Amino acid sequence: MSKSLLIISRQAPWSGPGAREALDIALAGGAFDLPIGMLFLDDGVFQLSAGQQPGQLQQKNLGANLQALPMFGVEELYASQRSLSERGLGDSELNLAVQRLDDSELTALLERYDQVITL
Amino acid sequence: MSTLNVGGRDIALDKDGYLIDLQDWSRPIAEALAAAEELQLSDDHWEILDLLRAFYAEFQLSPANRPLIKYAALKLGTDKGNSLHLNRLFKGTPAKLAAKLAGLPKPTNCL
Amino acid sequence: MATLHILSHSPFTDSRLASCLRLLGAGDALLLTGDAVYALQPGTTNLQALQLMPASVALYALDEDLAARALQAPERAQVVDYPEFVELCTRYAKVNSWL
Repeated sequence: MSKSLLIISRQAPWSGPGAREALDIALAGGAFDLPIGMLFLDDGVFQLSAGQQPGQLQQKNLGANLQALPMFGVEELYASQRSLSERGLGDSELNLAVQRLDDSELTALLERYDQVITL
Repeated sequence: MSTLNVGGRDIALDKDGYLIDLQDWSRPIAEALAAAEELQLSDDHWEILDLLRAFYAEFQLSPANRPLIKYAALKLGTDKGNSLHLNRLFKGTPAKLAAKLAGLPKPTNCL
Repeated sequence: MATLHILSHSPFTDSRLASCLRLLGAGDALLLTGDAVYALQPGTTNLQALQLMPASVALYALDEDLAARALQAPERAQVVDYPEFVELCTRYAKVNSWL
């Protein structure tokens, strides 16, 4: 049985390679059928804003790429409700279907996975 | 890097035979890329190539085998979305070969 | 399944420590390395937050990073060297580096 991995993505989408790297780990792991979860925390929740236009920055469309996660078998997708609320996204439509978790649920989530990586 | 001559036009390819400029893609170019792989494109092939282009339009990346199978099963049903069918059509490496013929970038999450 | 959380960024410019404290489990541990040892600076809210952690959460700080920054570890924190750092990583079921 493969070890399960939780990827915590906490970088804003266009500030550096962190958000892309977290997604690449998720897609690569998913392609090999590893049990993977992904949690958007802190500025990482900005990746979930709807209507972003990364073409303006000559960047690849991370938002479109994120939509591919379920196709790659990564269906356990979570976001911190606190991080969303702090950033004015508490009640917003997001570009990805994530479960919103409060702080105590986050602790339980980390507990559940065999391995955790934070980017 | 190499080139493929189609209809008197030289099309630039990378070292693995993928289009350098995805805008170059056309159906005759897909036929020529397939011929270079000794493959004759049938309706079954075209169905998957069109599917891959739809995948790329939606997600902006090339799928590895697993997501390709899943997407095909979702859009075309499980009689098309299974590894046997796709392997048979694309010489055992559907994600790599079909992406090449569909004019997509080489899938990165694929060994 | 207890986790060793490793921090290496200054808590004065960055939210890693704050976020980490919110999702710590009762048996987890915190290891401060690099600029994260500035969290032990006396008279700061960061040190206060660390002092408020439940006693079940172990707190470690890397010796040479403290010394380099002229910091003393408070009683709450255990000072470790590199061999102990490695030993800690094997002692906990998971290691979560906040990169």
